[in-house]
Amino acid sequence: MDDKKVLIKGNYAIAQASINAGCQCYFGYPITPQTEIGEYLSAEMPKLGRGYVSAESELAAINMVVGAASTGAKVMTSSSSCAVALMQETLSYACSDELPVVLVNVMRAGPGLGYVYPAQGDYNQAVYGGGNGDYKIIVLAPSTVQECIDYTYRAFYLARKYRNPVILLADGLLGQMMEPASFGKNPYPEVDVSSWALSGAKGRDGKAIYSCARDEKAHIQKIKDLFKKFEVITENETSYEEFETDDAEIILTAFGSMTRNIKASIKVLREKGIKAGGFRPITLSPFPAKRIYELASQGKNFAVVEMNMGQMWKDVKFAVEGQSYVSLINRPCGEWLSVEEIVSSVENILRTKEGEYASCI
Amino acid sequence: MEKNFILAGFGGQGVLLAGTILANAFMLAGKCVTWYPCYGAEMRGGTVNCEVVVSDAEVSSVHKQDTDFALVLNQQSFDKFVQRVKSGGTIIANATLVALAKPRDDIKYVFAKMGDIANAIGSSKVTNMVSLGVLSEACNIVSKEYLAKAVEIVLGEKKKQFLSLNLKALEAGCGALV
Repeated sequence: MDDKKVLIKGNYAIAQASINAGCQCYFGYPITPQTEIGEYLSAEMPKLGRGYVSAESELAAINMVVGAASTGAKVMTSSSSCAVALMQETLSYACSDELPVVLVNVMRAGPGLGYVYPAQGDYNQAVYGGGNGDYKIIVLAPSTVQECIDYTYRAFYLARKYRNPVILLADGLLGQMMEPASFGKNPYPEVDVSSWALSGAKGRDGKAIYSCARDEKAHIQKIKDLFKKFEVITENETSYEEFETDDAEIILTAFGSMTRNIKASIKVLREKGIKAGGFRPITLSPFPAKRIYELASQGKNFAVVEMNMGQMWKDVKFAVEGQSYVSLINRPCGEWLSVEEIVSSVENILRTKEGEYASCI
Repeated sequence: MEKNFILAGFGGQGVLLAGTILANAFMLAGKCVTWYPCYGAEMRGGTVNCEVVVSDAEVSSVHKQDTDFALVLNQQSFDKFVQRVKSGGTIIANATLVALAKPRDDIKYVFAKMGDIANAIGSSKVTNMVSLGVLSEACNIVSKEYLAKAVEIVLGEKKKQFLSLNLKALEAGCGALV
């Protein structure tokens, strides 16, 4: 693979990028709209002498991932919304065990079984998690097929650098679409995992990985250490993109593939003389709260645009700390909010002058 | 400049493949392009469609409400998508399976007997390639040279034995409007 552009589906791009990143084992169970990831790897991994297991369930898949990760292997699973829900217990364990698990969630509609069309309803599931206890996962949200590749590389690197699970949070739109993209080379260095990986104790003392400490004091310390680690991650790895925020009065804020639509909306709004800007967290966790606070302190209002009932909205509000207004433009799932819908909603927001405005379309 | 296309037909008529070839042709022409298929219940109901958006700059949104061009290979797709063509846009229909009717006054119609042309070449399976040729002539936005190159890329080594038939069909489609 090189810098040549190929027209490729998001799902295949993620699969090939995981191979380039050195993924040694993949465990998974099919579900629309991400089945092509497993399909691709089932053909390619055996050719490379790497592991592919079509697990009997998502529960089995994520537990196989934890087993393989504890040996220091580069490992990945992929799934979608309702099936990622089944993996939550093990994700909590993987955070506590400090294992470099890479999980790809190509979101579909929820709740419950939901439906196969795209949605962004797993923001909370990814960022806050459905597992027990205090834990934090690194969450990366791509907006193009190219970013599906770039962030897959990054996911493998961050997982091992910080010994922490990473979720690549894509959606059905990205998984199914084809765009020209290039794989380039995985830009990240190898991370030495020999200090903790359970690789066989022949000729050395044994090692162990526990998800709990043996007494209260030690357990409290363990959780504090996990959160201290996440402070470092927040300091080093928080990333976001801004579009025309300098003179903006209202900042459209979106994550994942909705980023595309806010970019287009900003153009249209600017043509109409409305000073709109854009903000897009790349890491949903750690969340770029500090930068949002700074922008809000300059008096800029926000309008969060998302395909759910306002999950990121509340994080933006929390970051703004009441300094300015944070409106919501959303739809629960299905057809992505169009540029026309976003533009007219923003015009409504600016017309009302009554502060915050929520318009579920 | 941003233009979008909907390609639709029965499952098996090869509209997803036609869309993939169209998208590859745009990529070869140095454009930004996005291809997006239907993959839900629609697909399971027997009709399939995909959307191709081409732009000089980064492609923003996909899954658009309306389209500049609709390429429809069967009657159901004509009935559904004729309503979604932008005013001033064009619908290109396979007249072998679509009745010659013009339900709207504000769009352009291109009818060509794509299925008959494909059969005359030797196989109804290349109706999709004929349709791309017709599209190339009708919309004047993608050259048949890039389309031919894209056919070669998409068929690849594995299906090389079908290349000449497909190229012939593309060529025949390009000539269908003369």
